[in-house]
Amino acid sequence: MTSRSRIEMNILSRSARNGGNSPVGRAAPQASGERRCCSRIGMAILLLIGSSQAASAQSPEREGLDWFETKIRPVLVEHCYGCHSVEAEQAGKLRGELWLDSRDASRSGGESGPAVVPGKPDESLLLSALRHDGFEMPPKGKLSDEIIADFAKWIELGAPDPRDSQAARKGLTIDVEAGRSFWSFRPLQQALPPVDETGWSRTPIDQFVIAAQKRAGSHPNPSATARLLVRRAWFDLLGLPPTPEELESWVVRLAGNENSDAATLSAGNGIDAQAWGELIDHLLASPHYGHRWARHWMDVARFAESHGYEQDYDRPNAYHYRDFLIQAFNQDLPYNDFVRWQLAGDELAPQQPMAWMATGFLGGGAFPTQLTETEFESARYDELDDMVATTGVAFLGLSTGCARCHDHKFSPIPSSDYYRLAACFTTAIRTEKELDLDPTGNAMRRQAYEDRARELQDALQLHEREVLPVQFRKWLAEYRAGSLAAADWEVLQGEVTSTGGTRYVAQQDGSYLATGEAPPKEVITLRARAERTGILAVRLEALADESLPGKGPGRAGNGNFALGDFRVGVASRPPAAAGQSPQDGAVRELKLTTARATHQQNDSSLSVAASIDDDPVSGWAIDGKIGQDAAAIFFAEQPFDLKAGEELVVTMAFEHPNQKHVVGRFRLSITSRAGLEPAVGNSGPDARIVGAIERLATQSDAASADWPIGLAWFQATTPEWQQLRQALAEHQQQGPPLGLAKVLVTSEGLPPLSHHADGRGFPHFYPQTHFLRRGDVHQKGDIAAPGFLQVLLRDGHDESHWQADPAGEDAPSSFRRASLAKWMTDVEHGAGHLAARVIVNRLWQHHFGSGIVPTPNDFGGSGELPSHPELLDWLAADLIAGDWRLKRMHKQIMTSSVYMQSSEFDPVRSELDPDNRLLWRRVPRRLEAEAIRDAMLAVSGQLDPTPYGPGSLDANMRRRSVYFFIKRSQLIPMMMLFDWPEHLVSIGQRSSTTTAPQALHFINSPQARSSAEAWAGRLRGLAPGDAIRRAYAEAFGRPVDEAELRSAHEFLEQQTQAHREVSGDQAAGLAMADLCQMLLSMNEFIYVD
Amino acid sequence: MIWIFVNGGPSHVDTWDYKPELEKWDGKTIREFAPEFSNTTGFFKDSVGNLMKSPFEFSARGECGKMVSSIFPHLGEHVDKMAFIHSGYTESNNHSPALFAMNTGLARMGFPCVGSWVTYGLGSESRDLPGFVVMSDPKGRGLPKGHAANWSAGFLPGVYQGTHLRPTGDPIDNLHRPATVTNESQRRQLDLLGRLNRPHRERYGAESDLAARIESFELAYRMQQSAPETLDIDSEPASIHQLYGVGDEKCDHFARQCLMARRLVERGVRFVQIYSGGMENQRSWDGHNDIKGNHQQFADETDKPVAGLLADLAQRGLLQDTLVIWCGEFGRLPVAQIAANPGRDHNPHCFSAWLAGGGVRGGVSYGESDEIGYKAAVNRVHLNDLHATILHLLGMDHERLTYRYQGREFRLTDVAGEVIQPILA
Repeated sequence: MTSRSRIEMNILSRSARNGGNSPVGRAAPQASGERRCCSRIGMAILLLIGSSQAASAQSPEREGLDWFETKIRPVLVEHCYGCHSVEAEQAGKLRGELWLDSRDASRSGGESGPAVVPGKPDESLLLSALRHDGFEMPPKGKLSDEIIADFAKWIELGAPDPRDSQAARKGLTIDVEAGRSFWSFRPLQQALPPVDETGWSRTPIDQFVIAAQKRAGSHPNPSATARLLVRRAWFDLLGLPPTPEELESWVVRLAGNENSDAATLSAGNGIDAQAWGELIDHLLASPHYGHRWARHWMDVARFAESHGYEQDYDRPNAYHYRDFLIQAFNQDLPYNDFVRWQLAGDELAPQQPMAWMATGFLGGGAFPTQLTETEFESARYDELDDMVATTGVAFLGLSTGCARCHDHKFSPIPSSDYYRLAACFTTAIRTEKELDLDPTGNAMRRQAYEDRARELQDALQLHEREVLPVQFRKWLAEYRAGSLAAADWEVLQGEVTSTGGTRYVAQQDGSYLATGEAPPKEVITLRARAERTGILAVRLEALADESLPGKGPGRAGNGNFALGDFRVGVASRPPAAAGQSPQDGAVRELKLTTARATHQQNDSSLSVAASIDDDPVSGWAIDGKIGQDAAAIFFAEQPFDLKAGEELVVTMAFEHPNQKHVVGRFRLSITSRAGLEPAVGNSGPDARIVGAIERLATQSDAASADWPIGLAWFQATTPEWQQLRQALAEHQQQGPPLGLAKVLVTSEGLPPLSHHADGRGFPHFYPQTHFLRRGDVHQKGDIAAPGFLQVLLRDGHDESHWQADPAGEDAPSSFRRASLAKWMTDVEHGAGHLAARVIVNRLWQHHFGSGIVPTPNDFGGSGELPSHPELLDWLAADLIAGDWRLKRMHKQIMTSSVYMQSSEFDPVRSELDPDNRLLWRRVPRRLEAEAIRDAMLAVSGQLDPTPYGPGSLDANMRRRSVYFFIKRSQLIPMMMLFDWPEHLVSIGQRSSTTTAPQALHFINSPQARSSAEAWAGRLRGLAPGDAIRRAYAEAFGRPVDEAELRSAHEFLEQQTQAHREVSGDQAAGLAMADLCQMLLSMNEFIYVD
Repeated sequence: MIWIFVNGGPSHVDTWDYKPELEKWDGKTIREFAPEFSNTTGFFKDSVGNLMKSPFEFSARGECGKMVSSIFPHLGEHVDKMAFIHSGYTESNNHSPALFAMNTGLARMGFPCVGSWVTYGLGSESRDLPGFVVMSDPKGRGLPKGHAANWSAGFLPGVYQGTHLRPTGDPIDNLHRPATVTNESQRRQLDLLGRLNRPHRERYGAESDLAARIESFELAYRMQQSAPETLDIDSEPASIHQLYGVGDEKCDHFARQCLMARRLVERGVRFVQIYSGGMENQRSWDGHNDIKGNHQQFADETDKPVAGLLADLAQRGLLQDTLVIWCGEFGRLPVAQIAANPGRDHNPHCFSAWLAGGGVRGGVSYGESDEIGYKAAVNRVHLNDLHATILHLLGMDHERLTYRYQGREFRLTDVAGEVIQPILA
């Protein structure tokens, strides 16, 4: 983020929170400062929604408004409104698609561009038209120069204009009010289920269905057999076949001892209703229910685990969203929470890890990872578009994305609604959050960690208190004066300043580590006192560090630096007056004659000698040994001392034109020993310590200032203390071994997920979302305040009705999404009734093959109308009444006669209703890619039921297909064969194609063959007839008939014989595998009745 | 239709768009020519050099006297078959969005590509081959940026997506039987499958999918024979190999792909797209470095094979029904990109392309770039226009080839596009 935008945001927040009076004076540290800014701006805008009048009253433009009222408005009314106003439009006289009767409309302009650009007369088409420059307006004749000058001044003043957005909304070509009467926007109709006298109906659902059939002269089929029903329910809810044992036991419970033959369609109202209900409950309680239904929602959510576009980098922590979906379905999370959490779980339920995981929804779209500067902003608008479009389609079945470039052509969604919806996501970004997905285990681990830390701490303290002083005293007693030699180098510690604003943090080892953003250039100064006399040289150690690029020691992108100048001086520093910084005395510069380094990049312009030449650019650089420590020694012409009150001043200038070639971690030291070679490190105690020890050896006074210095040095020389200290340090460094999971979420105020273009300065988001003309970022209109679809605001409520408040002043988030989520699920005045219609329709679609509204992602004007509008509303109302529980809704649907009916075909009724919209029969359906593959694994005994966790790209993996890693550029080929989505946009209903490559998969793919062989292996040991019977039961849930048995038997014999020539003993097994492969290939296997 | 996709962005001023004025401007800065130039056109904004004349000689070729770069000695012989477009422009200066734009009309992921629209519109003519086939670089230089999204069916049914022939190993998934299954054994399997499917199909007589699926296994069985046969170019005579340059070290790989393309369209495949080059930089026509060496290399790889393809199609009477197009995702700047051996950076403002055969008028040039080839200047051709023209040449009206999706009738050409009439025969 640029500093400019930061300032603007501060100003905005000030005007909203403090009425523009108190300055924002706090200099927040940069990293968290940005975070706070985001939250402030979010709140500022929220407040503005609620009190737009208050905001406009604060406008400082009173004078300009007067000007508008006296000089501008009368002219507009007299000369312009005739052709450029809502009235003109209604009279059919509007010209140039231009309205000048509201502020927003005149700023967004007409066909030719913005009519008024505040502050920019030259860009305002209105003014050039008045001047007859290009356009000639008014057409009747040019206005007086005086009036034109008035307009010019008004625009220069910023074109203050009180005609607020209410008027602008009137200017829309869309009649939102009339739009509210469209069926999907209307409140839920409370129709009573019509009476069914036939006795066919089991539930109110049936009463609606049979009434519609009756009106059309049609009638329903009887119930399917128990056997078919069990299989139907298993695939619908779990996406897996029942085992023969499960199937048989349920058939008995459903149909008594009816030994139903698969070929007979029993006219079964003989199904035991209670047992059927229990079967549904049993399946809904299976963990596989979530695997099946989460996958349906993943299509709708266009969820994938990579960025897409050219590099298509993985999002390795995105799978938590998929896990959220599976858990949400399995736990029967109420659907309104399901919606709210996906939009704003981080804001609404921050204590719940699942709510965070849910926000993966918004950030699930594709996003280019290679961007040039000119593409930054349009890429962000594309990203917002992905959020708006997916949100609209997934929850409301509305193609809001169409309104990006123009008012929606088929639904009452003006383009302004689109941008106001986009504004809800302004500051939302993809980010990673560490979440505690195992709270119980983690609490135990944290406790154990703290217990151990306390133990170690106690042991160390005890040692330091009781043992060390005794040892030290003993050691001092034996100490011979002068036997401790000071180290060669005395480390300089003092005050570090940088002209680049870098903060250098002192490290344990006496070095300084740079923090924050690296400046392009800087001059670093260290001022320090020194003990030594006869100083001969100054050493600079440039030290590697994990935090630096390429481990440093420099901060350039490659870890290099370039020390243009190295200077050493002596300065006196008089004591400071109270409350003032000490005044710096003049620096007496010392002449440096030679310099040597452990390594230098070359012998000329990047050598260490060049750091003490006259050229401020040339100087020591170290490419070739990046990531390693380096040292350089600078020798003074003459030995020198520091007098009392004097300080050493070391100045290091990094001013190379290659930016950021500054040092990241350094240590400076001096020596008075001659003949030292450049090297990193030091040995022996500091001169200061030697002095303290010498004095203590004479008089060991525990109260003296020397005691702690000496003791600190001494303790570090004892192995006992070192061990204790190290044990504690290691324990602390490891931290509590918490099982925190890094989760890709969508939130605000957290560091954005790193992006390829970060190096080019990609900002990830812009603080404001603007109205755009024709979706073009170069044609910006006003700032769009967050808002919702006007057609789904009822009873005079505006956005403020759903305003959600941040939990506290420092909330990192704007809570715009929380407001959106509340509106989205508000049945009374918001969009909740539509959201309920859309989800019950999705459920219906997956149970019947087609929705009551056959266009599940389009409930707008271009979608198809519901076949049973009253039933749809009854279901929606029932969902809401049932606490939005989807499991209950499944049961409502599945216990109906219409769900249970048979698939028998009838040409007469088909004539009446060829598309079966009236549901007079069950239509068998081909399974989706996942269910085909999972069924093959299940039947062959290969299915690995392990739930959750990272997915796999391996086509041969054995887990359920929902655990495929969805990489946009490497979509699993087998899944794609069977109409897997591209995972780029929301898909409400997959197509179901039949192609030769699918057949090739069954007859030749390693996966199909491996399933066949594994299955044959399980059947080994059974006599051929029994094996065939068992295989039929496992694959199709029915007994094999005589003809089938004969065909299969003959085949086995032929194949065994053929194989015997080549494979000998293996022949029977291979033949069985050949048979199994064909059973898996049968229509009956992948078409479920 | 066969689309030679000149992947990475061929430099128009070094290939087909002869710019004598550029020699005069050589060494001057582009701001002298275009003051609005803002460093943002190219991808590498810090290495913008001066205007640079083409390192290649141009000479007049064919009856039409088209000036052709010396890197195309063989293609130069066919200029009288080609209609050149010199005023193409696109929106993105970045490979993958520009590839998506060239292939689908939109610079974003998720829309159907030209090949998908064409097979959706025309259906497949072949009973045992896919209708839309894509070939990519077999020399290990990777896939074009954006990978399979470039031949995706987008929201069209998946059956219209391009079948990508794998450059090495088996070209199509599952084309070969498992090791333990012989032809006879598989035939018996399929006969059994037919028998076992029959009662189910009779019971569900109303479901048309079921019969189609039964047939699909027979089709798959035939594909196992016909696809390898089609792709087996070794059965072609030596003279044909020579014509395409098969066996010529520089261009053998591309010659094989061009020859396969001919064999595919001969057998009714509707749309074949061959990518020349792989990923970015020196792995494709993306000559950021050493434009001279880069373009010479990729021209050497393709010149003879594509010329051979044109000659072969013509001699078989196939050219009149087969549209061949040579086009990349964008052009390159007339300025140098600074490097030891100067290159050229991306240029979305201008590119050249040619079309031949299939109803195209040969020997004509349409549109002009400005005098140095920086921007398309006269008769500018938007991608929508190019796509409209392609569909027109294949017998389809781009305004009527629509697909209803998410509540809207989508077109390859969105809401624009005009057929370039002057290049039609």
